[in-house]
Amino acid sequence: MPAKIVNLDLHAIATLRYIRASMDGAGSVAIPGSAGIAMGGIGLVAGALSLTPNLARYWLPIWLVAAPLAAIVGALLLARSGSITTFVATGTPGRKLALGLLPSLFAGAVITAVLWSVDRTNAIPGTWLLLYGCGLISASVSTTAIVARMGACFTGLGLMALSGPALLHIPLLALGFGGLHILFGILIARGAHGHET
Amino acid sequence: MATKPKSRTPATATARERRKLETVAATTRDDAESKFDRLVYERVRLGIMSALAVREEMSFNELKGLFDISDGNLGGHARKLEDAGYITCTKSFEDRRPRTAYRITEPGRAALNRYLDHVEAVIRATRG
Repeated sequence: MPAKIVNLDLHAIATLRYIRASMDGAGSVAIPGSAGIAMGGIGLVAGALSLTPNLARYWLPIWLVAAPLAAIVGALLLARSGSITTFVATGTPGRKLALGLLPSLFAGAVITAVLWSVDRTNAIPGTWLLLYGCGLISASVSTTAIVARMGACFTGLGLMALSGPALLHIPLLALGFGGLHILFGILIARGAHGHET
Repeated sequence: MATKPKSRTPATATARERRKLETVAATTRDDAESKFDRLVYERVRLGIMSALAVREEMSFNELKGLFDISDGNLGGHARKLEDAGYITCTKSFEDRRPRTAYRITEPGRAALNRYLDHVEAVIRATRG
């Protein structure tokens, strides 16, 4: 009977969806909230130092030290998670995570060098926030949806920094790399939007 | 060896419908190995096989978290797949804690592919 054929069809499609969901679930990286909180802590310290009157003119070196430091701390905390170790070593999703995030970071490094060489350092904070946000959105394909939301927030801050006055640049950097990392790190750790292993 | 599947095509079916249904039947194994294929049809076991098809290795805890099932439930399903030779299980220690990891085998991957072929044939037959 036609009705039974339609049911079979729907069942087959539901089965395919289930297979797809299982594969997607297996292929996603569980980002530990602790990584975001630790990186945010470094961002807040960098922001505080950059806003100190005596150190304000050294904001770029301060952030250039803070960025790799936060990246290393974040990577170490990721590696501590049981899933990520086998994940990066053996699985395609690890490569997807790297391929999603690293191009934006590389572009950020190149543009930073270019802006510094032409003495347009005012554009650097907005560029960092914008490109990091885009990188997070790309990387969210292999992580959880909350990472995309964090990326969207970074992108918004980047646009504000690029269009706003220079006075706001360092506070926006601190708000992004400090505040957003901590906020979303707490949300991830609490399992409000993602999962942690 | 695969035997010719028994025809279940209704006598009233048109030639086009009969061809489609025969395509579906051709992807359904009625031979001695089919009891192993049926292992894959169960929802959790199908999920385990699908997850292991994209990850070279997954731990017991990762699978448990992915499907939100109990230790006993996962252990039972994994044991059946292991007994069928569709997955392998390795036990080790990580930071002094026992760790159980699963990998899909070539026969397991072939069984999953056969199942996917069957589902695809069903969809083609009913939609195409």
